Amino acid sequence: NVRLFALLLMVLEWTCPGLSSPLRPICDLRVLDHFIKEAWDAEAALRACKDACSTATNFTVPLTRVDFDVWEAMNIEEQAQEVQSGIHVLNEAISSLQASNQTDVLQSHIDASISNIASIRQVLRSLSIPEYVPPTSGGEDKEMQKVSSISELFQVHINFLRGKVRLLLANAPVCHQGVS
Amino acid sequence: MTKMRSDRLKIVFMLCLAFITTGGQHFESKVAQLLRDETEDIKCFVEVKDLTCFWEEEEERNNLHDQYTFTYSYENKNKMACVVSSLSLLASNKTVFYCKLPKTPFFTPLDVQVFRDGRMLYSRSLNAENFWFLDPPRNLTVMSSGKEGQLNVSWLPPLLKYIDDSMIYEVRYAVEGNNMGKVEVIKVSTMLVLLGLQPDTRYKVWVRVKPDGVAYTGYWSAWTEPVLGVTQPSDVDPLIMLLVLFIGLILCLLSMTVILSHHKFLLKKLWPDIPSPEHKFPGLFTVYKGDFKEWMSQNNSSMWGRSVHVYTEELPSPLEVLSEVSLTSHGTSQREERQAVEEDEEKESERSDSGLTDRWREPPQAHCLVEQLRALQENPESLSQSLLLQSHETYVTLNQNSQGDDERQVDDVFEETLPLQTLFTTAGTTSLNTSHSDLGSLQQSSGSGRLSSQSSFEYPNHTWPPKGPGYTYMAVADSGVSMDYSPMSSSRIAEPLGRHRMYTNDYKNEIFLHKWPLSGQHTQSGSESCMGPGW
Repeated sequence: NVRLFALLLMVLEWTCPGLSSPLRPICDLRVLDHFIKEAWDAEAALRACKDACSTATNFTVPLTRVDFDVWEAMNIEEQAQEVQSGIHVLNEAISSLQASNQTDVLQSHIDASISNIASIRQVLRSLSIPEYVPPTSGGEDKEMQKVSSISELFQVHINFLRGKVRLLLANAPVCHQGVS
Repeated sequence: MTKMRSDRLKIVFMLCLAFITTGGQHFESKVAQLLRDETEDIKCFVEVKDLTCFWEEEEERNNLHDQYTFTYSYENKNKMACVVSSLSLLASNKTVFYCKLPKTPFFTPLDVQVFRDGRMLYSRSLNAENFWFLDPPRNLTVMSSGKEGQLNVSWLPPLLKYIDDSMIYEVRYAVEGNNMGKVEVIKVSTMLVLLGLQPDTRYKVWVRVKPDGVAYTGYWSAWTEPVLGVTQPSDVDPLIMLLVLFIGLILCLLSMTVILSHHKFLLKKLWPDIPSPEHKFPGLFTVYKGDFKEWMSQNNSSMWGRSVHVYTEELPSPLEVLSEVSLTSHGTSQREERQAVEEDEEKESERSDSGLTDRWREPPQAHCLVEQLRALQENPESLSQSLLLQSHETYVTLNQNSQGDDERQVDDVFEETLPLQTLFTTAGTTSLNTSHSDLGSLQQSSGSGRLSSQSSFEYPNHTWPPKGPGYTYMAVADSGVSMDYSPMSSSRIAEPLGRHRMYTNDYKNEIFLHKWPLSGQHTQSGSESCMGPGW
């Protein structure tokens, strides 16, 4: 009977991936480190390309500054909200680049960044981090900044991943359960 | 109460002093190192949580502190000022000015500027998280792992909460006293097992740390103070090795001694000598260079008798007197006959193609025998009477003439010629009927003169047909090496029946090959001869 039950569970797990079963938490920071490395490559490539990669429009991007003392004082929900909103804004800014004609090199970096952001969202979901809730009140409640160049955009991208996102993942409560 | 309070204050003061000095030591060393390595004007590093930026003094001034202004800004905010301090480096005798930011913003570009007297001296934009300058790892310990050539190295990571999982370490080790060392890089883990070390050796180990460069980057920390470790001695005891070598040496010596003492025996077994008949033919190879004819001619008279003695395995025994009645008239002794026959043989070996009859008469020694033969031929009947047909002895007849009717000529069958045919008796008389059994050992000459031989068994009824001028009957025994002219018993003869080799001489006489009844065995013609050039 026990064997049959276990077999049934296994079958259900395979056949029903779309159910809201909790994903296995991805606590290994090497997953995020991989995305960060790719973001480094993009930033290094775009640092060199300044004139050709400039655009007329401005991008709204999140603030990336982290004060360790301040960050430690925040609770997990506040940290999560800051990270999720920042990812959302960043994603929008980079996605807006896809529409415009860019060089092949730039296009590949743009595509990689967008897919990495999507993967990071999955990782956050696996850690049971609350999803992004758009602010109901004003648009500029959260701390944002504006950048005018693509290189600055990717600088913000890498700084955000290295800073807030990583600190949040490293401090995820799910990963520290059972660890004294 | 006040005494206790003062004591406490003293203790606290001492601790603070100790803390400052140690921190100062690290700080000063870092400053000194960056002063050497960093090329930027404003050199910055993050120690624990705060960024420190310093610059070198340009020229000697009197009022140092009032000259410089340090400002920093980020995120397009207003510039903030930082308190400038000075530090005198004792080692390099230099003075630096530094500023330690109170609240360092990370993961954002930071703009720092140095002003002197209102004028901007230096400017720089940097991200604080890229300039970690950590302290060396603490509590470095090196221990023997229990296995040969291994050392266990362990240390404590720097006390930093956020980057403790982003560290990379470098372990350097070298034999004590040797400057050439090896470096091992290890990520995150704070222990390492060094492999492939020499046994029973003292090693020095150093460790340093750096952020791994993914999320945080920075400078390599200073090396720790070296820690000594000793590897385990090798398992194989040198004493045991020496003993093993010594015993091996002794065994080698013993075996060498045995081999040398029995080397002749071993040599015989492994490399046997090929037997050489040289010793039987004195002077054949040395003097005459293998020319047998020459040797025979030289040694004929003197050596013949002796050689016969040498070759034959048995001493020739006296001939039987075949016919006492007929031979008494001739008065020949047995020994004379035998000797004559032997001499005849010797003579016949020298003959070329010619009739036996002729040769027979030529040598003077054989003359007596010829006379005897003649006498015998004249009295064949008497001879037949005295034939020892009743006995089991072998007889050989020498037929001088060619009586072709009953005689069988086997010409050119055999290359070598035999004067005599050895006839061996077999048990019983069953073989008497057949007269065509092949002895095969008789060889014929190609000469005109012929010797025929007949077995005594061919004439069971004592009918010895007259064959011609004369016959000489002799008892012949073949021991396989040579013909032995002696009365033989059947037992002696019958045994080597199938294997006997005819005694061949270089006779050129024709000899009839009579097929004698044997026990069905075919005796081969001897390709080897007892005496002759074949040797």
